Amino acid sequence: MKAKAEIRFFEQMGLLALAGTIMILTNMIGYKYTLVQSLQGYAVLGGIALAGVTISRFMSRFIKLPTMMYVSLTGLLLACPLSPFKEQVIAWANNFAFLAPATALGAFAGISLGKDMKNFGRMGVKLIAITVLVITGTFIMSAFVADQVLKYTGSV
Amino acid sequence: MESSIKGRLLRYWKVYAGALVLAVLSDMIGIVKFDIGIGTLTLFPMVFATIIGGLFGPDLLRLFDMKESGAAGAMVLVCLAPFMAKMGVGAGANLARLVEVGPALLLQEFGNLGTILISLPVALLLGLKKEAIGACYSINRDSNLGLTTDIYGPDAPETKGTFAVYIVGSVIGTVFMSLLASIVASWNVFHPLALAMASGVGSGSMMTAAAGTLAAIYPDYAEVIPVLGGASDMLTGITGIYMGTFIGLPLTTWLYNKLEPTVGRIFARNTINSNAGGEAE
Repeated sequence: MKAKAEIRFFEQMGLLALAGTIMILTNMIGYKYTLVQSLQGYAVLGGIALAGVTISRFMSRFIKLPTMMYVSLTGLLLACPLSPFKEQVIAWANNFAFLAPATALGAFAGISLGKDMKNFGRMGVKLIAITVLVITGTFIMSAFVADQVLKYTGSV
Repeated sequence: MESSIKGRLLRYWKVYAGALVLAVLSDMIGIVKFDIGIGTLTLFPMVFATIIGGLFGPDLLRLFDMKESGAAGAMVLVCLAPFMAKMGVGAGANLARLVEVGPALLLQEFGNLGTILISLPVALLLGLKKEAIGACYSINRDSNLGLTTDIYGPDAPETKGTFAVYIVGSVIGTVFMSLLASIVASWNVFHPLALAMASGVGSGSMMTAAAGTLAAIYPDYAEVIPVLGGASDMLTGITGIYMGTFIGLPLTTWLYNKLEPTVGRIFARNTINSNAGGEAE
């Protein structure tokens, strides 16, 4: 049991290194950070990712919550005002552009979605319509709630 | 233990090398902006990588076969983790500012859920199936993409819905938000400060576009609008993933299960081609 968990830990590490190679290239080519900065940035982000995934696997014995929530929460806790490592974590994470992981993500997602291109083409117009509706709905409802609260609390 | 990684590398080297080439090419193209008169369309490197990657898939140019396509899906999840880590660090670094924001800002985060009631019924009427859940439960920005992919898996119809709205939103988001902000402002029903908070519902660039438009419309509030928009954007970055996990997705799934049997039946009578759903394979 323990050996299996260990294998998965190293496997995850290998996969993160594989993904990281592309992300570091993106950070250098697309966002003009140096190699050292990029390595520092990925050391923090990849480390948090690995820790989050590992914690999630452990916690899933007790409660099933999305892995990405643990990853995000690990990052939040390490960078929050109470964290003793916050300066280092924030400084190194700042060496990695926000959208630097997105290009690799897009490339893999594209290859993965390659099996459904015809479907996407067929649904294209509908998906644009839905996107417009989703943005509109979110904006208007958010403005409505904010407006009500501002009036109720007498702020405006 | 390294052997499984090695095995994967040997079997799927084409996927990894392909993704690397795609990413480098897309980054060299960089961010492309089109001025279309009413605003600017923005194409991020990620969009190029996705589209070109898709063209090489088994459906069209066949450079990658079905199995390789599947291996790429597994890598999507791996790539999401550092992305979520970056968002988490951003949220943590801004945590102290949470205290400064008022109750209106906190509560308007719940307004973000309003889209479900409006967009889900329409999505079903348009003939979407489970894609509608992923497409409609949130405004589908970065953390939502991570969440849906994680919960349903990279090949699930729900994930395709989220991914589609994420991509389309990244292209038309800025131009559409500034258009929307000026239209809603012209109704004169919401206070300018409420609109300022609403401009933070999406990505950072959407917020900048909407807040910029609003600041031009309401010069008296020009200074405070971007501040509120930025605070709301930051707040969505912190709360988004929890909102989606605990409220957005359960609510959307519940509503889908209520509505789909009825709407789906009407739709099935109108068109024979139900293959456009997620169960393509």
